[in-house]
Amino acid sequence: MIGTVVRVGLLRMWHGRTEILLTFVVPIVFFTIFAFIFDEQIGLGKSPRVNLAIVDEDSTELSREFVSALAEWETLHIYAPVAHEDGIFVFNSAAPARELVLAGTLPLAVVIPEGWSGSLANPDTEPVGLQLLADSSDPVATQVVTALLRQTSGRIAAERARQQVQILLSLSPDEFADSPISRFGNPAAIEVIDLFAADKANPVVSMYAAGIAVMFLLFGAVGNSGTLLEEEESQTLDRLMCSELSMIQLLAGKWLLMTLVGIVQVTIMFAWAQVAFGVDLVGHLPGFAVMTVVTAGAASSFALTLAALCRNRAQLNAVAVILILCMSALGGSMVPRYVMSETMQQVGKITFNAWALDGYIKVFWRDLPLVELAPELSVLTATALVLFGVARVLARRWENS
Amino acid sequence: MMVSDGTTIRDGADSEYALRIHDLVKRFGTTTALNHAGFELRRGERLALLGPNGAGKTTLVRCICGRSAPDSGSIEMLGRRLPPSGGRHELGFVPQEIALYPDLTARENLDAFGRFHGLTGGELREAVEWTLQWTGLADRAHDLTKTFSSGMKRRVNIACGVLHRPLVLLLDEPTVGVDPQSRDRIFRMLEELWRQGTSMLLTTHQLEEAEEQCDRIVIIDHGHAIAEGTLGELIASTVGANRRVVFTLAEACPELGGFTISNNGLELATEVEDVALDLPELLIRIRESGGRVCDLDVHPPSLHSVFIHLTGRELRE
Repeated sequence: MIGTVVRVGLLRMWHGRTEILLTFVVPIVFFTIFAFIFDEQIGLGKSPRVNLAIVDEDSTELSREFVSALAEWETLHIYAPVAHEDGIFVFNSAAPARELVLAGTLPLAVVIPEGWSGSLANPDTEPVGLQLLADSSDPVATQVVTALLRQTSGRIAAERARQQVQILLSLSPDEFADSPISRFGNPAAIEVIDLFAADKANPVVSMYAAGIAVMFLLFGAVGNSGTLLEEEESQTLDRLMCSELSMIQLLAGKWLLMTLVGIVQVTIMFAWAQVAFGVDLVGHLPGFAVMTVVTAGAASSFALTLAALCRNRAQLNAVAVILILCMSALGGSMVPRYVMSETMQQVGKITFNAWALDGYIKVFWRDLPLVELAPELSVLTATALVLFGVARVLARRWENS
Repeated sequence: MMVSDGTTIRDGADSEYALRIHDLVKRFGTTTALNHAGFELRRGERLALLGPNGAGKTTLVRCICGRSAPDSGSIEMLGRRLPPSGGRHELGFVPQEIALYPDLTARENLDAFGRFHGLTGGELREAVEWTLQWTGLADRAHDLTKTFSSGMKRRVNIACGVLHRPLVLLLDEPTVGVDPQSRDRIFRMLEELWRQGTSMLLTTHQLEEAEEQCDRIVIIDHGHAIAEGTLGELIASTVGANRRVVFTLAEACPELGGFTISNNGLELATEVEDVALDLPELLIRIRESGGRVCDLDVHPPSLHSVFIHLTGRELRE
């Protein structure tokens, strides 16, 4: 009897290819995606390189030596404008580098303040530390660069100390304590200046709220679009198509419903994030509204296309689970994209999760004006229109067969 | 057109026929689902469309509804040639499945399908109230249809197809899975519509429904209408008016000429033209041959015998 139960289960599984797909293929797909994200050996690129700008306000031999030493790290990619051709590009003042971090172009800028090398050489002066202008939405980059700055400055300091040690060896203990080597021997002072988080109640939560919201927006929309397949199976679609209703009206109605439900869903999510975690929804209402409308619209079109493509609800569920989880993993809903290699970050751009999250980050994290959302709004709107068009073409199978 | 209950329904063209199917051909790859099918539904008529499984009924229904485009041939409704899709306001369609939203109430379903059929405002409210009364479900109007019995769901299913008072109604097996009481109720509802002037095309596998509820019958097989007429006409043109008489014997007797013998010689069957004249003679013959009749059945010619005569006994699936 037990054997028969097992046999029946296996036979049903064999006849239901969708279940086999979900059971055996989805884990492999997922493993592969996360392997690409986390394992630099088999990934499409190396582990993430940190882009950063360097500001040399000190402009001394020591500071230039420090910049050259920093540039030797493979992990670091020193920012240079397109027009710049040779050598390491260095800003003379902090202002333009700060703007790049604020705009989200770079996660970090290292500032070597004026008087830095002088303070190291002269123990009588006030110590001047390195500054790290940081976008703390990428905490990994901040920590990596802080460690590299300490290591680099320590190495330079040790070299300087070696050059002076013979002179200093003849000094008395009191004279040695006052000598420049004492300052070189100290750990480098590094001040991390977070350009974003200072005036925000709980900034990181907004990013996760957006990530989760977009993922569930997709799941919700697909669940809703499945009603088309249910209507097909129950012949309700036949009845609808025999009425005054046209296919374009039916699809437009479904799209509008899914979009409205999606807008309410994301709004409730962020409202809860404001109440429970202090995310400033009210303060970012215009940006949130436009991002949510276009994201929900794109998710609805995506769901309609999937429904029009699939033959039944089970097939839709299987395909949707695979696609949405893959898009969410690649697009940053599950793992922040800054931990991915540059190649994987570029691959993630094919998902609209990535565009949506970038938009929400611009709104909640960077406080950018609406005009800065143009790329994200354009891509998401185009996605919504193109996918709706595709769904319309695919839906011809329901009109006349 | 003014109907008996005082309501006005939209009139079509002055055509003798509600529906004319002419030389319809539909192929799916190498399979020919409709092979020059043709027949007419007269105005105010109830026409049964019969056929074995795979005969082409579903494809035909889909073509009439505009859900499938025929490769050639034409469909006219009320004198107007129908386009492949759309333009079927005068047509009501009741699918075989319960094509309702189970998580809406009866009233909400009726309201939705009324709107889909273009009804609004007072016209819509009036239609919903009428169908609730017509189906006898006014007291359950606010219950979800998923809580209804099969018979009640069927009644709402039909109501959703007639809200807009169509002149032609296409019913695809409207009584599948319901008990005899519900079937009677459904046919009383349909008769009411018919009396108000609605022409009906009914597909069914229930032959007695076709016999009892329809004026004429069309039998379709291999995508072609192979017979059409009233039951009497069909009988006359196929199996004839002879009665089939079956004698059950107490014990098997020697073979008798003119009888079909079955059940190990315990059943003898034959056909007679005149029961009163022929039956005594047959009884005498059996007794003289040593047989003792303990029972006998006289079967008049039926649609079942016509159907089997025309389409054969082999399974089609």
